[in-house]
Amino acid sequence: MTPGSQNHLSEEALDDVLIGLGSPESDAHLARCPECRAQVETFRGDVQLFNAASMAWSRSRMPGLRQVHHAVRRTRIAFASWAAVAAALAIMAFAIWHHRAVPAANQTATVQSQPVDSEAQIAQDNQLLQAVNAAISPDDVSPIDEYKILESPHRHTKTGPHTRKK
Amino acid sequence: MATMALNTLRIAYIERPRIESPMAERARVISELDDIDELVRLHQARIRRFVTYSTGDPDLAETITQDTLLRAFNGRESFRGDCSLSTWLTGIAINVTRDHLRSGRYKFWKQLKTSAVDVSEMASYLPSEAVSPERRVLAKERVKELYAVLEDLSYNQRTVFLMKFSEEMSVDEISEILGMAVNTVRTHLHRALKAVRSRMGAKI
Repeated sequence: MTPGSQNHLSEEALDDVLIGLGSPESDAHLARCPECRAQVETFRGDVQLFNAASMAWSRSRMPGLRQVHHAVRRTRIAFASWAAVAAALAIMAFAIWHHRAVPAANQTATVQSQPVDSEAQIAQDNQLLQAVNAAISPDDVSPIDEYKILESPHRHTKTGPHTRKK
Repeated sequence: MATMALNTLRIAYIERPRIESPMAERARVISELDDIDELVRLHQARIRRFVTYSTGDPDLAETITQDTLLRAFNGRESFRGDCSLSTWLTGIAINVTRDHLRSGRYKFWKQLKTSAVDVSEMASYLPSEAVSPERRVLAKERVKELYAVLEDLSYNQRTVFLMKFSEEMSVDEISEILGMAVNTVRTHLHRALKAVRSRMGAKI
């Protein structure tokens, strides 16, 4: 039952031949042994019948071309959708981040600007506040006096730019 | 006679006209990959057959075939050309099949519904030019018997058998695609062949 003997190929040697890994001895045996050769040919014939039938069956189910096209299109649409969603999320995330970051930056700027105020700036601010205070002070001529609605001899002095001169 | 006719038939299915220069060959392959219609036309039936008979589930095979072609088309830049396009596609099909078989969704649907290969229907597709009318009934029976044997093999044994005898890959290619040692591939093949011999033994 070994290759090259007067008997036939062993099962393992026969399998090796079928797999395509047959030794030269096996090939030599097959060349002179019609029985072993018939076994090999029968197996190959069966496999070829199976391959032919199964391929013809598979070819008969060919409307898959359209399905693959749809699948390609679906993939592209899905990709575009995901890209759009990702872009929208990125924009939202940026907006939220910006919203949080800008007030914080302003706060920091305010905190940092306080020590920068000079004495001159403070004096200028005080002067402005005093001017405002004077402008809205009770010393102003009231509309009643201004238009002499009442017969009051009471007069007021003016300090602002709209002071009436007698 | 029938074997010769089948050989001719098989050559018509598998082989394409030889192109002399390797650059022209590569250009052809790239153009095949760039054209989804061409990719589907040339390879869909072969991938569907392989996946159908390795998983035994035609519905799943349909999904896997589509996924395989889609993945190949989307990942065509990664095709290096160090193997044939058919081998590359078969490798993708195997990976996609593994992903599907591992997924919980597949297991869930598998429990609910199993679509099996209708082997009688498949055998009826035996091309008329493959066998003479007198031998046709016998040939169909042989096809059914062979599939019955394959059905009883383990997934790995069946896949290796189909890669070797239907996809006509070498043991080294099978080993590389499946990530198995060459000896493991050979062991699977020997076991598969032993099963074929024991079931169809008297006739082989």
